[in-house]
Amino acid sequence: MSKPILQISNLTKTFGNLVAVNDVSLNIQEEEIVGLIGPNGAGKTTLFNAITGLYKPDSGQALFKGTDVIGLLPHKICRLGMSRTFQVTQAFNNMTVEDAVRVGAYNRCSEKEVQAQVDEMLAFFDLAKVREQMCSDLGLALLRRVELARAMATQPELLLLDEAGAGLTAVELDELMDMLRRLNQERHVTLCVVEHVMRMVMGLCARIFVLDSGELIAQGQPAQISDNPKVIEAYLGKRALR
Amino acid sequence: MKPKKLSVGMVSLLVGLAVALVVPLIIGSNQYNMVLVTTVLLYGVMATAWNVIGGMAGQMDLAAGAYLGLGAFTVGTLLIKWNISPWIGMILGGLVATGFAALVGYPLFRFGVTEVWYALSSSALVEVLRVLFLLWEDVGGPVEKYLPFHKWSLYHLRFSSYVPYYYIMLGLLLIALYANHRIARSKLGYYLLALGENEDAAEVLGVDARACKIKALMIYAFIVGVTGGVYACLYGFIHPNFFDGLQSTEVAILGIVGGMGITYGPLVAAILLVSGREFLRSNLSGQLESLYLAVYAAVLIVIALFKPRGIATLLQDAYKQILSRIQRDKNVQADTTNF
Amino acid sequence: MVDTVVQNLISGSLMGCIYALIALGLSVIYGVMNVVNFAHGDFVMLSMYFTFWASTWLGIDAVGTPLFTFPLLFFIGLLTYYAIVDRTLRQHYVTQIAVTVGLQLFLRAFAQIAWHAQPRALSYSLIQGRIEIGNYTIILSRLISAVVSVLAIMAVYFFMNKTWPGRAMRAASDDLDAASLVGVNQRRTYAIAFGLGSALTAIAGGLLMTFQQVDPTMGVRFGLLSWCVLALAGLGSIPGMLVTGVIVGAAEALSMALWDPRARSLVVYLIFILVLWLRPRGLFGRK
Repeated sequence: MSKPILQISNLTKTFGNLVAVNDVSLNIQEEEIVGLIGPNGAGKTTLFNAITGLYKPDSGQALFKGTDVIGLLPHKICRLGMSRTFQVTQAFNNMTVEDAVRVGAYNRCSEKEVQAQVDEMLAFFDLAKVREQMCSDLGLALLRRVELARAMATQPELLLLDEAGAGLTAVELDELMDMLRRLNQERHVTLCVVEHVMRMVMGLCARIFVLDSGELIAQGQPAQISDNPKVIEAYLGKRALR
Repeated sequence: MKPKKLSVGMVSLLVGLAVALVVPLIIGSNQYNMVLVTTVLLYGVMATAWNVIGGMAGQMDLAAGAYLGLGAFTVGTLLIKWNISPWIGMILGGLVATGFAALVGYPLFRFGVTEVWYALSSSALVEVLRVLFLLWEDVGGPVEKYLPFHKWSLYHLRFSSYVPYYYIMLGLLLIALYANHRIARSKLGYYLLALGENEDAAEVLGVDARACKIKALMIYAFIVGVTGGVYACLYGFIHPNFFDGLQSTEVAILGIVGGMGITYGPLVAAILLVSGREFLRSNLSGQLESLYLAVYAAVLIVIALFKPRGIATLLQDAYKQILSRIQRDKNVQADTTNF
Repeated sequence: MVDTVVQNLISGSLMGCIYALIALGLSVIYGVMNVVNFAHGDFVMLSMYFTFWASTWLGIDAVGTPLFTFPLLFFIGLLTYYAIVDRTLRQHYVTQIAVTVGLQLFLRAFAQIAWHAQPRALSYSLIQGRIEIGNYTIILSRLISAVVSVLAIMAVYFFMNKTWPGRAMRAASDDLDAASLVGVNQRRTYAIAFGLGSALTAIAGGLLMTFQQVDPTMGVRFGLLSWCVLALAGLGSIPGMLVTGVIVGAAEALSMALWDPRARSLVVYLIFILVLWLRPRGLFGRK
């Protein structure tokens, strides 16, 4: 049995009167691929931000490999081995693809090792041909891959992906899913994907967590989740159940 | 591609250096012109150093005068009181400036004082130092404290001509340029670039924003501090007005207008604008003496509005155009020879 | 000793009201369009010189000059907005700084050309004289200046809260897109805000000329003073600005009397730096 790599306990985050994340607890096992789904505004991105140091939660704990990352600065969390991508691509517009990946690579590599790591990442994500292009010149699918490559260059053990599949065509989606599977199998990276694209979630994840209005309403395998009445209600409303 | 870029850069650097080296030989006898070129170099050093905090780290620092003054007062005081050579004094001056930068930078970056507020508070810092040194009669005070006079002393760094100071400034400029060059290709350089692009994204990639900014600040402060030491010897006295807010702002403007983040950008701006300004100043004297300032300011505004990425980008664009034209010609040749 | 303290508290607080007025002009601009006008202090200096001209050439007393200088500065503000500031809005904030610093240099040079770097002062004003209350002296021009400043601040408060253009400005500062949807024209609103913010310096300038002289370098001092008052107050509270204006004015006067006249700016700047470090929201700020 594998150990949990991330253990979130009783995480709560409010913004004024809005309870964005309400007492959420969940575990992610090593080398799993899990999905985090829920309707818009459910609190998925807020949860991500709370455990990667961008928000300070009101209460709760998030043990990453045994260390509580709540209250740590984002760069420290990255050093520990947790990386993420963003929902709205946060590109380094005026940098080349290669330079952007290099920034990530410096997380673990010394000056001597960094170029090798960059080359490896560019090869893995099939970005070698565009390495000299400016990030601002890239289309969405490529940009997503760059963001992925950048995050992977930090050599994380847990990678959080925030809606990496949004806006992609079916072909691009397949390529992405393929890359993620390879990351998981070849490089033993644990993945947690926040997604709206059901094909990706169902096709990729071993387990799925469902958030609605800040609460964890269901968790389990894909087949269980798609039949779960609470989940259907959350997405489509009570009427859909009839 | 890369080796080609390097050699063009190297060639222009060597050419520039050669020109710079012979300039005093041509105009050395004209004291006024020597003052002019030395002043250009002075602003060149400060603006190039500024590029580390302003261009690379993206912090609008308007406190160059603080570090210049601290360096100057360190050298001056050590020389006047204990006859310590400015060669040692300048390094110490650089360290004092660096220490001050760390002291000030830590709360600034810890409390997330950014953008405009950083600019304003750094401006205030220069004023604070000015008044403090004004009130601190022992070291500063309202009256200039003159450095001991020597006609030609390498130990005391006092010369009766501007030529040696010119060469020392040139040396400092080369150091500043080299520092920029090395940092740009290092981990710090990439981290600063990333921070400037998108701080949140950079931080989740492992970039310690505060530490990087303070490092950049300290490097810049050190170079300007050392320059301040030379500045004191150049003027032959020290005075709290060395903590000059206006001059500090000008340094930043040169950095901006030259091309933020481009190593040689601020230098280009310094050469063009400072010499242009001095040229105007000498030719427009008399009743409309301040007209040169008005013209200078107008030029700054125009450049900032229409070429916000800096003068250096004009050069870069021109270079790219030439390159692509050469490539096109080569392609045409290749096509025709294929018959 | 106590007498000195109280005396300086009084005169400093009165001065502070004028500082609050200047800061208000700045806050209108910064609050509405997030633009840092580095040349704001120089607008004050310019107003003071224009007051001098109006008074000397048109023979109007200083108290009447705002009738001319207010619209003049409003116009200059509009001009500055359309010619310079508008273009920088879509760009990096650094361009904004570069451009307004350039403006600052330009205005200073202009003043030096027009008035030959000599300090100018008015020789006479209607509101001369002083009042004695117990041990303390209150200079009439300062008192009236303070009162007029407060009235002006109240007028702006009324304008921002009760009139359409004023509320349009506040709406634009809160949420530009939403404001445009209800009919607020962005460029025009911004331009008016810039004009208004600049025009307020005309009132302050006129008042200052009743008891002070002006020279081309004064812009820096007023600029940093108003930034300090603004930072200490925070955005969103007009009455708060009056309070912090008084605090800053009093602090300045006290430090001059109790420490050293040359330390006048020191205390102000130190307050400014400390506020930015420790309480960037200001004492009364919304955000």
